[in-house]
Amino acid sequence: MVFEDIVFAPILLPLLGAALVITAKAFLQGRPMKILEYIGAFVGLGLPWLSFALTLPAVTSGRVFQGVIGNWHASVGITYQFDGLAWLVNVLTYSVCSAAWLYSLGSGPRGPAFTSVFLILTASLSATIMTSDIFNLFVCLEVVGISSYILVASTDKPGASLASFTYLMISASAMVFFLLGVYGLYRVTGSLSYQGIAQGLKALPDGGGMTAVISLALIISSTVIRVAVMPFSGWLPDAHALAPHAVSAVLSGVLIKVPLFALSRILLIMPVGAQAGQLLGWAGALTALIGVILALSQADAKRLLAYHSVSQIGYVVCAWGIALYVGITTSKGAALMTAAFLHAFYHALFKGLLFLSVGTTVDRAGERNVYRLRGAAAILRSCGERIPVTLLTYLAGALAISAVPPFNGFISKNAISYALEGTPLYYLLFAAGIGTVASFIKLSRIYWPDRSRKEIPVPAVPVPLTSKISQGGLALLCLGGGILASRIHSLVMLLLSGTRAEYLIQWYSAGALLKTGAVIALGTGVYLLTTTGIIARVLKVIREQPGDFRGLYISFSIGTALLAGWMLLHL
Amino acid sequence: MKQKAINVLTIISLASVTLVLLPLFLENSPWPLSARNYLELHGVGDSGAINLVSAIYLGFRVFDTLGETIVLLTAVSGTIGVLTRAGAVLAEGYDTSGTPALTEQEKKVIMDDHTFTLAGEKRRSHALRTHLLEVVTGVLGPVVLLFGFYLMLYGHLSPGGGFQGGVVTASGIIFLALGNRIGAKNPLIRASVLDRIEAAAFLLLILASLSGILMGRGFFGNPLQDVTAIPAGYIILLNGIIGLKVGAGIGFLCIAMVGREIS
Repeated sequence: MVFEDIVFAPILLPLLGAALVITAKAFLQGRPMKILEYIGAFVGLGLPWLSFALTLPAVTSGRVFQGVIGNWHASVGITYQFDGLAWLVNVLTYSVCSAAWLYSLGSGPRGPAFTSVFLILTASLSATIMTSDIFNLFVCLEVVGISSYILVASTDKPGASLASFTYLMISASAMVFFLLGVYGLYRVTGSLSYQGIAQGLKALPDGGGMTAVISLALIISSTVIRVAVMPFSGWLPDAHALAPHAVSAVLSGVLIKVPLFALSRILLIMPVGAQAGQLLGWAGALTALIGVILALSQADAKRLLAYHSVSQIGYVVCAWGIALYVGITTSKGAALMTAAFLHAFYHALFKGLLFLSVGTTVDRAGERNVYRLRGAAAILRSCGERIPVTLLTYLAGALAISAVPPFNGFISKNAISYALEGTPLYYLLFAAGIGTVASFIKLSRIYWPDRSRKEIPVPAVPVPLTSKISQGGLALLCLGGGILASRIHSLVMLLLSGTRAEYLIQWYSAGALLKTGAVIALGTGVYLLTTTGIIARVLKVIREQPGDFRGLYISFSIGTALLAGWMLLHL
Repeated sequence: MKQKAINVLTIISLASVTLVLLPLFLENSPWPLSARNYLELHGVGDSGAINLVSAIYLGFRVFDTLGETIVLLTAVSGTIGVLTRAGAVLAEGYDTSGTPALTEQEKKVIMDDHTFTLAGEKRRSHALRTHLLEVVTGVLGPVVLLFGFYLMLYGHLSPGGGFQGGVVTASGIIFLALGNRIGAKNPLIRASVLDRIEAAAFLLLILASLSGILMGRGFFGNPLQDVTAIPAGYIILLNGIIGLKVGAGIGFLCIAMVGREIS
């Protein structure tokens, strides 16, 4: 045994767990099967935490674990890299996945088939962030894809299979273009590892020319389709809204972020990567604003949350793209990258929490329409929740996403706006923040007391203990992220850029608090506006736009062409 | 009007994809040779496999192969999940009001052990079976199985390997299932048996990938280096495990699709 091998724990332990669960399903029945299933889940989701604790000292001291899997020659083998970025993204993945699996124990989908696919998804997410080989990235994204299609469809809800199929079709088609991009890069450099490709391109007289740039554009756009930046986000609302709640939490919390950070490994060392980052940053800011307008128009509670995922990932992509543009070795770039990761992490926590708590609520109420559902707090009480855990945890999530102190969303959104101050992007994100407040006032109305006092028609189903624990745990993490802001911020910055923060941000300064107050006041104003006749009608028109399968392909191809054109301009 | 706009958009998007992809296909710089030269000089020596394709997919890039195996495993379990759910939905939601009631004789045919129908589907089952089919597939089945195992175990020397061998094995299993006459019992065509083989093979594959770590040779390091004199021993082992897994998985899927028992 060699200590360095511990970096494979986040990939191998969930796979071992999945193998144990599948074996349990095939050979055992009843109680022994359940016990082995839980052991497998513990091996897959619990033990990797130990490896994070053990590797933390090494990664904080700037050590990068890298090499070739199987110790082959680097020109033919698969290279991997475990550094601060991989450590952080793994922690993000495992926090949400552990909480979501715990939630699924009480609220479904249950059983070894679900657990095994869930563990495979976790392992593949870990592998995605650790690889530094472009074909291996393709394989990892395929495993992530196939396990998530199955998890989306693992419910009897009408429409889930169709949503899963749409997601499958669009991302499987995109992967064909990814493969063409891999071909193009291999064609000109003869190498598949990121480092090898970058060196090969440098050695060429024209730096690879059009072929290299177009291949890179294909790889970026087909990876970004998983991240769901506009115009590539058309598949997301259905898939995230119709999946089981635990799966929605993982999809929105983790799945849309890991490919983004894996992509930054490529863009940082490739030519024209910085300009691609700039374009994506702008797309991200626009996504944040348009996403929130769409969210504000939704009637279905989970669809509203799904559109918020599009909007919030816009914030992340905006900060991430501009960080690549200015270069993460500069102090501004380091601050932006730190802010991007912090927001990705905190969004994973609070959006996971929101999906779980709203999911618990709409299941008990038997109604998902935010215009019709009222008095959900009373319904939860009649289901035996004496301490209103679900309501409180929902509030924690809603306050966090609206950037209200002392929750974590306040910190990460401020970190982004602090680093973007003075650019036009700042104002786009500011406007998106107002929309977020407005749409969460709209969503929160489901908990308001019901004046008409109708009889609740559904039978009272108690909220399982596991759901309460997982919601409570995530809510505490949201609060902790806000309270320990400076520590976490400087740790993330150290891991991502190797530098200690040069300046200390006054998180709870009077200016920041005043700004939050202004956003909340404006958000309330916008919410009141949306209840007036003409705007409500406009929102209804937006809401009733039919989804179009062909539109997904059209936006993908036009978006890819625009990206390629932009990158060729800067060649 | 709207239709027209969409058509114009479709044409624009097809044109833009073509424009983007064209330079990729027109690239005419000389092919880079570094990886090719390395494989030519060291491929056989490093891996011990004469078939360089095996050396690549179970040696140099075995981690990719693990990923692809998992894709297949997940796809099989997902398909089974969708099939069983679809079967249940069909059985519940099938509108029988327009069709005449079935006679006892017809019900017996549908419920027969050897029907080739999905649950809930109402079709005369024996239309798909002929005596010719039963005899030919029954005789060919074992031969095809044997050929599948040959492909698996000789993959390091000649074209073949775990995936190909596994698929051939799976067709052998389907032959056995088709040729299975009423009353004959063959454990290889029972879904539960195939499920167990697949599960055990997957566990073995993960353990085989881990064993290098325990021996201090790293993830997917060769654990058999000092144990056996055959240089390609690890590749043969992996080929066998993957072959079993693929064969059982695809066989299971096909048997489920022709409507045999699904656990």
